[in-house]
Amino acid sequence: MAHQAHAYHMVDPSPWPLTGAVAALLMTSGLAIWMHFHTMTLMSLGLILLLLTMYQWWRDIIREGTFQGHHTPPVQKGLRYGMILFITSEVFFFLGFFWAFYHSSLAPTPELGGCWPPTGITTLNPFEVPLLNTAVLLASGVTVTWAHHSIMEGQRKQAIQSLTLTILLGFYFTALQAMEYYEAPFTIADGVYGSTFFVATGFHGLHVIIGSTFLAVCLLRQAQYHFTSDHHFGFEAAAWYWHFVDVVWLFLYISIYWWGS
Amino acid sequence: MAARLLLRSGLRAVTTCQAVRAPALSRSMAAGGIPTDEEQATGLEKVIMKAMKEGKDPFNMMKPKSYAGSRNDPHLVPSITNKRVVGCICEEDNTSIVWFWLHEGEPQRCPSCGAHYKLVPHNLSH
Repeated sequence: MAHQAHAYHMVDPSPWPLTGAVAALLMTSGLAIWMHFHTMTLMSLGLILLLLTMYQWWRDIIREGTFQGHHTPPVQKGLRYGMILFITSEVFFFLGFFWAFYHSSLAPTPELGGCWPPTGITTLNPFEVPLLNTAVLLASGVTVTWAHHSIMEGQRKQAIQSLTLTILLGFYFTALQAMEYYEAPFTIADGVYGSTFFVATGFHGLHVIIGSTFLAVCLLRQAQYHFTSDHHFGFEAAAWYWHFVDVVWLFLYISIYWWGS
Repeated sequence: MAARLLLRSGLRAVTTCQAVRAPALSRSMAAGGIPTDEEQATGLEKVIMKAMKEGKDPFNMMKPKSYAGSRNDPHLVPSITNKRVVGCICEEDNTSIVWFWLHEGEPQRCPSCGAHYKLVPHNLSH
């Protein structure tokens, strides 16, 4: 047992921050090498190291919290603050892309035909697949809340069912969006419309994949009895992230798909 | 599909859970399959959980208890050794804190406002 007089967690020395930093270095320099010398080796190495770092670092956190009991109330509070701050930073990340979209679309230049959507762009009908995607994500928000209540009420089977449903809805969104990308009548190279559309929705799609992965990890943990009815912050963090992804989509849908069409 | 599942689970919850809910709302491995902290907490989390149930706060997570600070009702300051630093905010909203070492034995008084403090030594439970 730790011989400390405080309730905080003084983490044991760990190599993962260093491997993460090295991965960031390899990925960024690898990106530059790929662009100039057409070889993906360095970047791939960085990516593999990143995945290994994430797997081992988060595995260690699960060991420290669930198996060793280091996540006391003050520690959990710190983790909550951390997740909220991280999501806030992601909000600002997306805010930038929305700024870019509105900058170009509120005052379309003569090169675009002085109109939005620009001349020559056939936009997607917001009431077809994009509307279905909206319904899918909203439904997944309901199912993830259902999963949370199931956990709090100690209902294992319902928790697993609703969490699985949430993940399936996430996959459905991703599949639909991938199909939309493939079938779209415009590309990322089609002027500022293409740029703003695919960068904003593309990063959103990446966050859906990240969120789905986080939820999938929670499903595995729930199946292995990690969560208790009172202490399941990993799940709450995943749910917060998932709601954030949903809200970003709503803004994307209203701004780019609907108003921008 | 989601609607059907939701309806079915809702129906099941309404019909079956009524019997379970009559006694105390028991959530545990036996009842629903999700463990409680009572059953599964470990390490420092468990130590703190047990202490909090007995009304104790060995790691000073909460605000210190309120005492009058008089000779008969001094501020009791827990310590794991025989001395501890005390910071006295003499009056509410004072911006300067009066710091001093409180030693085991006779109660000491804050050099600024005269409030009484007594050290209460105890050992760490682990």
